[in-house]
Amino acid sequence: MPGPHLTIEAVSDEALARRIAGDPSGSTDAEEAELYRRFAPRVRMYGRRHLQDSAAADDLAQNVLLLTIERLRAGEVRRPEEIGSFILGTSRMMAHAERRVARRRDALAARFMEPAPGTAPTSSAALDAPRLAACLRALAGRDRLVVLLTFYAEREAPRIAEDLGVSPGAVRAIRHRAMARLRDCVLGGARP
Amino acid sequence: MTVPGCERIAIADLTDYAAGELPEAEAAAIEEHLFSCPDCGARAAEFDALVRAMPSAVRSAEVGGFVTEAILNRLAREGVRVRTFALSPGAIVPCAVWDDDELMVLRLRGDLGGASEFTLTQRVAGTEVSRATSQIAAGPHGEIIYAEPAARIRQLPVVQVELVLTAHEGGEERAVGSYTLLHGGLLHR
Repeated sequence: MPGPHLTIEAVSDEALARRIAGDPSGSTDAEEAELYRRFAPRVRMYGRRHLQDSAAADDLAQNVLLLTIERLRAGEVRRPEEIGSFILGTSRMMAHAERRVARRRDALAARFMEPAPGTAPTSSAALDAPRLAACLRALAGRDRLVVLLTFYAEREAPRIAEDLGVSPGAVRAIRHRAMARLRDCVLGGARP
Repeated sequence: MTVPGCERIAIADLTDYAAGELPEAEAAAIEEHLFSCPDCGARAAEFDALVRAMPSAVRSAEVGGFVTEAILNRLAREGVRVRTFALSPGAIVPCAVWDDDELMVLRLRGDLGGASEFTLTQRVAGTEVSRATSQIAAGPHGEIIYAEPAARIRQLPVVQVELVLTAHEGGEERAVGSYTLLHGGLLHR
């Protein structure tokens, strides 16, 4: 339970980890949820970069945080003051294992299976999609295209540069500016 | 909304990191910091929320404008129903969307030259109703691709829409082609 003067959001990462490790099992639901809220987005970002698959990144975030909480409860996290490092290390280990399994799965699929039809990602969006759509529409055409090609079509800067007839450096500069505007529009409540 | 406190990892760093375009050592340094810094972690959470919501926003098919084959391919993989019209200059094409179409795609052909910036103007009865400009190169089939939410097309009455595509090249603007869509209203299956 949070202390009398601190809401759970104000408790440090270390204190959260110590409570999960030290308090009786079943009495730290709020702390576990808060740890998940804080670190799942970071693990997802890590997973998207290293697994190049949004659904796999969602799974990685769940699995890493579940394992972290189990290890805390079992008293197997030696340095709760470095819980972030523990979570990063666990992310690296599990992503590495996932890549190995994926390679084996892909090799088997290539040998024995018909190509599977594409499926829509199952992860639920955490933001209001209509608002994001409105903010995307409000971007300049070129900026919107760069954002969509990067984060929807998952193309790298050199390929986007070909699509747009600009340099890869220009693509990066456009993307920095566009994502800052999008963030301000969606999260800051600026009028699209 | 800005996250107060540590500013070590800016949105530009997160953008490059998430796009997978940082050298390994720089990416590893960002990861080390992100997992130990609550302020930067919160900024990463905002960014993650934006990126996660993007497929839903695009699948809602409310995001139109100039697009490329790569975006159409992803939409197709996600099962978005697309109605496509391929138009050559001077074409007059009966155009309608079915009630379950989600996106209308126009493949605009013509002498695109080496231009990499185009403007598409839409006119109804001589009055300009929309104008979109973007840097974009012609696709492999010598087309510029433009997408419109089908919901918007469904709202149109029976009307003739004139589309004019212009290319910006060497500081000059030139007409590529004019195309006419005869909107016939909504079709039901």
